[in-house]
Amino acid sequence: MTPAASAMRNSLWLFDITETTHTLGIILVAGTIMLVDLRLLGMGLRQEPVSHVVSRIVPWTLSGFALMFFTGGWLFSAEASKLYHSPAFRIKLALLSLAGLNALIFHLTVYRSAPEWDERIAIPAQARVAGLISLVLWIGIIAAGRSIAYGPGYDQ
Amino acid sequence: MSRAPLIPLFSWLGHTAIGQTIRSSALLIALTQIIHLLGLTMLFGTILMVDMALLGFGIRRHPASQIAAELAPWTIGGLVVMLISGPLILSSETLKCYESSFFWIKMAILLIAVVFYFTVHRRTARSEPQSGRFRIRLVACISLGLWLAVALAGKMIGIYGDDLRVDPAPFQARLYHR
Repeated sequence: MTPAASAMRNSLWLFDITETTHTLGIILVAGTIMLVDLRLLGMGLRQEPVSHVVSRIVPWTLSGFALMFFTGGWLFSAEASKLYHSPAFRIKLALLSLAGLNALIFHLTVYRSAPEWDERIAIPAQARVAGLISLVLWIGIIAAGRSIAYGPGYDQ
Repeated sequence: MSRAPLIPLFSWLGHTAIGQTIRSSALLIALTQIIHLLGLTMLFGTILMVDMALLGFGIRRHPASQIAAELAPWTIGGLVVMLISGPLILSSETLKCYESSFFWIKMAILLIAVVFYFTVHRRTARSEPQSGRFRIRLVACISLGLWLAVALAGKMIGIYGDDLRVDPAPFQARLYHR
């Protein structure tokens, strides 16, 4: 066990603050990425070019991600053995990896041709699919995260 | 201000069929909280974008009023989801909420935040605001602060109320032996 992990274990409020920050980080990530997804799906911010939405929102998403990643790693270090048997935790990590992969594929493929369809509401199907997948995955990540405390395998 | 007059209301809510159904199922408890969190995510993401636009960090060339108008349905949608799932959660853990100071703090801040959103915030966002002016920045900061406080107080109910769900005795004593 690392010193940071044992410090967390021995201080209830440190754990609470970290968990609260982790939740805020996820809300920041999901809340901002959902706006990009809605734009891709033509359901929100339709007047704004996709690239403008992405360039202004993604820095917030990444800051939120850094926040959630570091607090998450710290929380995990403090209760690694509690989480090891939790299916909800494993599902959450799997969905997170898929969300990262989806974003990576989007940026490396269809987003490269963004200048051609930037201003349009009806954008290429591949971009819309990426938005839909992202939306579903982030709903799943929030659901799995909240389920850790209620599901089997935790705190046993 | 005493909250005691509200005991009958809380008692009734806790005894409704829906409250008892949710309470008896870990799945339903988790589900109502997940829906509540999704509503918060929607609300918070959209509010953040509008407030950033008011602060002068918005989407290039696009005025805050336009962003606010485009996102308003999603902000209100998120709020509606929270205002439906919230009372459902309350019905499933009436006692915990009644006893929790954070619940009452959250309700007070929520009321202020909702009133602020539908009055000052909306008027400011619609008025073609010149982002960066002091008054506009102030409105954005108050808005962000209020919603953040609502979220934090909500999280605190969960963190500091668990012992109350386990031991309902003091609450029941006051309910039935007054």
